[in-house]
Amino acid sequence: MLQLTDIEKVYQTKTIETVALNRVNLTINKGEFVSVMGPSGCGKSTLLSIMGLLDEPSGGILELDGRPVKSYSDKELAHLRNQKIGFVFQSYHLINDLSVLDNVELPLLYRAGVGGKERRQRAHAALDKVGLSARTTHFPSQLSGGQRQRVAIARALAGRPEIILADEPTGNLDSVMGEEIMDLLLGLHRHDGTTIVMVTHDEQQAQKTERLIRFFDGSQVA
Amino acid sequence: MLRHLFTLIWNRKRANFLLITEIFLAFVILFVVGSTLVYSQQNYRTPLGFDYEQVWQVDLDPGMQPRAQRAATQRQVIQRLKSLPGVRFVARSSSNTPFSGNSNRSDLRRTKESGGAYVNGNFYYVEDAMRDVLAPHLIEGRWFDKRDDASTRQPVIITQETREKLFPGESPLGKIIPNGDQEMQVVGVAGTYRASGDLSEPRAAAFLRVSPQDTSFEHLETLLVRVQPGAGAALEKRMTTEILAIGKGWSSNITPLAEQRAAQLKLIVTPLVALVVVCVFLIINVALGLFGVLWQTINQRRTEIGLRRALGASARAISAQIVGEILVVSTFGLALGLLVAAQFPLLGVLGVKTSVYLTAMLLATALIYTLTAVCALYPSWLAAGIHPAVALREE
Repeated sequence: MLQLTDIEKVYQTKTIETVALNRVNLTINKGEFVSVMGPSGCGKSTLLSIMGLLDEPSGGILELDGRPVKSYSDKELAHLRNQKIGFVFQSYHLINDLSVLDNVELPLLYRAGVGGKERRQRAHAALDKVGLSARTTHFPSQLSGGQRQRVAIARALAGRPEIILADEPTGNLDSVMGEEIMDLLLGLHRHDGTTIVMVTHDEQQAQKTERLIRFFDGSQVA
Repeated sequence: MLRHLFTLIWNRKRANFLLITEIFLAFVILFVVGSTLVYSQQNYRTPLGFDYEQVWQVDLDPGMQPRAQRAATQRQVIQRLKSLPGVRFVARSSSNTPFSGNSNRSDLRRTKESGGAYVNGNFYYVEDAMRDVLAPHLIEGRWFDKRDDASTRQPVIITQETREKLFPGESPLGKIIPNGDQEMQVVGVAGTYRASGDLSEPRAAAFLRVSPQDTSFEHLETLLVRVQPGAGAALEKRMTTEILAIGKGWSSNITPLAEQRAAQLKLIVTPLVALVVVCVFLIINVALGLFGVLWQTINQRRTEIGLRRALGASARAISAQIVGEILVVSTFGLALGLLVAAQFPLLGVLGVKTSVYLTAMLLATALIYTLTAVCALYPSWLAAGIHPAVALREE
């Protein structure tokens, strides 16, 4: 599904050149649940940004469904992100001025051919899946951290993506809530066959996934 | 997407309150200035209703001459002026001549039996020759002539504005209008006559005939003289000399109506220009304020913009959203402004035509939308350039 070949990412300033990713070769197969671990600054989030088409690699080839994405225009990349990828972030990134339902609808706003009624239905269904159908009119500030992350997961699900990229989804949560979110992701993977790539610092959670990839100083070490 | 924008702005109404207020106030200012300009422009485009070119106004001052002799002297002056080469027609007039700023207003009221309709209008006392001097546009009936000498009633020519008020749907010709203990009879209808100047509104008016046998001098001490094209200072000097030669102790002042018109226009247009300049500065201020607020907003919303990009918004979609948001904010401000502005035509404030207010509303609305959209262009471009991966890592 996702193929990374010799991926490099170098951040360059006038005085310093920082290598974030060094010749990374990785394949993510359809239906896999992969976790990525490593110390802070080892390039995990950069890897996720590149896999999520949010950032361009400095070198190497990234293929999505067998097609290199380098040649895509900004509009095409946006379309791919919208159609194929769902994001879950450590700090949720919900829009505080929108209700839970409006937040979950967000990816569908950028999808042509999805009307208001269908948007609502799909958002309700996604919220139902994460157990928040009773909170649709609430605003993010009225929810707990765990509930906010559930909303973020529902938002990722609403677009029915082929792959979910989760960047430390339990990083801001206590252990109980962290477990809840982890169980939710595992459930999505088991029952719906969703492909998930999760960056985490939690060894226990990482062990629950099908494959664990370790990073150190921008290179894959295991 | 439009519903999403309205939801977003409505939910952020507290944050957008000042912006909405600013746009509301800017609209009100533009509406008031716009109404003034549209009103003036509509009046300016309306024909004056007479020909002022090559017409000179001669103001006569008899000085200490006994009252009884003044009319006779004036007749001599008129005869002499008529005989001068370069002078085509001379007519006596009341002092409310074109562009003079003078008025002589009174009520014109129909009899009770005829409905009692009335209108307040300007009364112009003129001689038969005024037709040749000012060439007022006649649309019905006739101008004053010798036939009126034998009339037992005061012949009157009303303007079409007077006709619309006093004789709606009927011909006014031959109709009687009471005038104190006398009666006036309508002999003609003139088109719009805007002696008050280019920017004045067409108002009701009536021409009252001054008979050649009328020997009164007071109220008729002004002469209007139509001269040959090209007549200039030499003729003016000659006229002054002749007047002084006939009227011992008399003085005169000769002014071309074209000069009076230009002076009057300058007097009226100057405050209008000042108003527009102040308005432009205010609008520039508003624009700079909007620009600053939008710029700051973009910086505060980098994460949200990054998120939207991650969820599938293209750079162009982000740009369009920022412009769309400010247009929605403008719509809230404009809705309030239009609510206030609509009271003017609904309540008939200042007696100005509804079309003036409607045009001003349209112009102000278009200008506000344009202004806000232009102010949002650069911030929206900045927003479109936000790198999603970088923005999502900030916070």
